[in-house]
Amino acid sequence: MSDQLVIEDIKNTIYRASLYLDECRWADWLALCHEDFYYAIRAFSPEINYDMTYLDGHRADLVSMTEMLPKHNSDHSPLARHTVVYTVDVNDTQGTASCVSSFAVYQTQLDGINSHVLAGESNIFLVGKYRDIFRIGTGQPLFLQRVVQLDTRRLDKGTHWPI
Amino acid sequence: MPARNGKQWANVPGKLGSGEYVDSRIYSDHAIFEEEISKIFRKVWMPVCHESELPDPFCFRTTTLAREPIMVVRGGDNVVRAFLNVCPHRGNMIENRPSGSFEEGAPSGAPKHMTCMFHAWQFDMKGNCVHISRATEGYQDRLACSDVGLRRLRCEVKYGGFVWVTLDDGIDQSVEEWAHGAFDCMQKSLDAEPLEVFHYHKAIIPCNYKLWHDTNSEFYHDYLHYHNRITGFNDSYFARKNIGFGNGHINVGSFEVQYDQYEGFESREELSFPYLPTNHWEMIDFFPGVNFNLRGSALRCDIMTPLGPDKVMIEFRGLGLKSDTPEERLTRQRHHNSIWGPFGRNLHEDLLAVSTQQATMSEWAEKRRILHGRHETDADGDPTIHDEEGMRHFYKEWGRRMDRWPGNPEMSYQKGQEKAA
Ligand code: FES
Ligand SMILES: [Fe+2]
Repeated sequence: MSDQLVIEDIKNTIYRASLYLDECRWADWLALCHEDFYYAIRAFSPEINYDMTYLDGHRADLVSMTEMLPKHNSDHSPLARHTVVYTVDVNDTQGTASCVSSFAVYQTQLDGINSHVLAGESNIFLVGKYRDIFRIGTGQPLFLQRVVQLDTRRLDKGTHWPI
Repeated sequence: MPARNGKQWANVPGKLGSGEYVDSRIYSDHAIFEEEISKIFRKVWMPVCHESELPDPFCFRTTTLAREPIMVVRGGDNVVRAFLNVCPHRGNMIENRPSGSFEEGAPSGAPKHMTCMFHAWQFDMKGNCVHISRATEGYQDRLACSDVGLRRLRCEVKYGGFVWVTLDDGIDQSVEEWAHGAFDCMQKSLDAEPLEVFHYHKAIIPCNYKLWHDTNSEFYHDYLHYHNRITGFNDSYFARKNIGFGNGHINVGSFEVQYDQYEGFESREELSFPYLPTNHWEMIDFFPGVNFNLRGSALRCDIMTPLGPDKVMIEFRGLGLKSDTPEERLTRQRHHNSIWGPFGRNLHEDLLAVSTQQATMSEWAEKRRILHGRHETDADGDPTIHDEEGMRHFYKEWGRRMDRWPGNPEMSYQKGQEKAA
């Protein structure tokens, strides 16, 4: 496959993953991930001058986390993201590709506070970059790693879902 | 009883006494909120940051306390000092960044000095004014550097390296006296070796600061948390005592957490804080709005900054040992994040519950009674974990300082006490 086709394939996979995450289709999202998949949410804090990890784990951790979500009390206000893939760098010899995307996650209020007044209102919830590594060369490109690098460090309720 | 009509609803339910509920207006009234800022937050010791946030000489950290901008700096002599972050010339905020270093100096100032960018007055790390631009031309002999030092604030580094500040020059207690023994349960663990902050985030939520503190002070709400229902409800959990200390602080004593009951959580055994028994958990709710939570391998500290009757900023910090290896640090971070992180299992549930609690108590909603009347004691007669003594203890101190009876804020504290007796 030409690099151009591989790049198109990877972009499609990132956008498909965005849709699955928007729709809370966790199993479908994880099906796009390699069995060695590693996921982390990180942010740099200028307050404490420290590179922080807010969440991290491998595929099995994410499976148990997402399966437990319905057992928790939650703000069900949906999160939807606007993702734009900026760069895809293919490394044929290693069979990987690294990608940088920018994202903004919007929250549309449903039941989190006073639904009579607030339900239906949308706000920007989080902004940051996805730094992804894909395994390529064996059919469908698979996420090997996703680092969600947040700019946002004010994190109000509703943040318990994978981003 | 079936659903009640308006008159029945206004009555005190059951046989609860007058110290066993509060009036919802204490969570929503603007005048009460303003009074809390002046009678409580301006008069107490509050931790404002941790000393690891200003690790080297000339490092600084900015914050606010009771709406006053504050700057904490580490001098060339390594001493941590606090000042109002206000220029004595025309009141500009001297430093706007959340943290940084004065080592290199501002664009218009000298290295190792604080410089107000507006007209370039300069101050040393002890708060002395050392330079006034065109001083003699403008002020002749009417005003000199020695007249315009910064406003210094009383400041102590205490209990695991937290930087405590008060706006009250006349406060008659040290931080230790103010703590009144509330730190005894974890002081040895916190002071064994230097700590470091590895986690920081903030939430600004639509609720009164006391609702967050209430939630931290009562464990009855473990029904809210799937994680706690699964891991916590055992004999040692129900044996935890709820102990009050002077100045409105409380502890909830230790018990062993059964991490193996909840999928995806490892035991905290390997990296317990020094002197902390394996998998143990100690908690201090510090008056008027700080929470210290030492759970096995990680320390959490929440500091509240009230922004309005129905708005509070909570700063969440996670701490480990400064001597951690990168692997140890990662393990601590994971332990911290799994329960307390912004993407963890408990924090969002707590934030959700206090937001929806406040949503019923807008300033114009009719008053209602918020019940604090659970008494669940052990064989010694001491309150245990689902007893609401923690909140009752807090509101005694609150009422005394505000001179208002929490169950009826229009009544003086003394009158309320007399009626209760
Ligand atoms: S206001 Fe600071 S130098 Fe003028
Ligand atoms: Fe909780």
